[in-house]
Amino acid sequence: MTSSPMTDRPTTGSQVAAAAPAAVKILIAGGFGVGKTTLVGAVSEVTPLRTEEYLTRASVGVDDLSGVDEKDTTTVALDFGRITVSPELVVYLFGTPGQERFWFMWNDLVNGALGGVVIADTRRLESSFASIDFFESRDIPFVVAINCFHGINTRSPAEIRAALDLDPQVPMLVGDVRERPFGRDVLLALVDHLMNLPVLQPVPVG
Amino acid sequence: MTPYWADEDEDEHGEGADGAGTMVRPYTITRGRTAPERDDLTLITVLTTTQQELDEYGRPYRPGGRGLQPEHRVILDRCRQPAAVAEIAADLDLPVSVTKILLGDLVAQGLLLARAPLSVARAAGGADLGLLKAVREGLRRL
Repeated sequence: MTSSPMTDRPTTGSQVAAAAPAAVKILIAGGFGVGKTTLVGAVSEVTPLRTEEYLTRASVGVDDLSGVDEKDTTTVALDFGRITVSPELVVYLFGTPGQERFWFMWNDLVNGALGGVVIADTRRLESSFASIDFFESRDIPFVVAINCFHGINTRSPAEIRAALDLDPQVPMLVGDVRERPFGRDVLLALVDHLMNLPVLQPVPVG
Repeated sequence: MTPYWADEDEDEHGEGADGAGTMVRPYTITRGRTAPERDDLTLITVLTTTQQELDEYGRPYRPGGRGLQPEHRVILDRCRQPAAVAEIAADLDLPVSVTKILLGDLVAQGLLLARAPLSVARAAGGADLGLLKAVREGLRRL
């Protein structure tokens, strides 16, 4: 991702009223109703905010040329929260729309994410497959949070790992996403995972 | 915040039976523009209102500036405390794309300063260790 020309450009003439913090974002993904907004709310310093975006099928731009003419527009809602790490740094948590076909279309949502959390429900693990596939295909590092409402978990972590076909190095935590300590631990696991990742070497072109 | 179209909906258009209403009006605010003039505003670009000279009415003095709409003024007021695009959109109760158009107007006029997100994409070398340590420290305090 290239840096924006806006920040590179020196400000001329005007004084900034308050210094703007730097921002990073973490994506909270998983199937519909799996607890994404709940996790955001558990760790966010504000009640999760909601905003909307218009997405057009044309913005898929891969192989569906017919969509360009149809201008098929849909409104997608997005819940998010924030954690002020310091006056200079804010982490935004974005709960991705429940249906992956929407966030596949939403480059602004997924571009430049620090990493992701995939929440999975042991009773219907398959609803989180698409989120895992998505992060893997976009090379976005992620951790998996197994959400056990009321402590109900009938499967062992090894079974769940196998069912999700997780790479061994992908951290997986089991807990209740309504609990702030669990949400904190999930995010810490993601940051630790990011610190342990091998540095990618630039690939020569041509 | 009350949606900007709430009064109109009730007074002029009944229950807003025209399903297209919510689609059309946001772009009325943007004077028909459906895409921002700049594409570098992201969901987490942080915007801050610049300090401005005030005119005799206590409003920002902008020689040669184009007229601002009420939504522009709400944004300038909101961004006295730095806020991300997504937060501003949520506060205004406007779609992100519409909000970006309004923000682009204000950035172009020098009334808002935009700070792009930190570059953390793995293909660009990923997040640096100092950033990750800072995030980690912040999370530990939760």
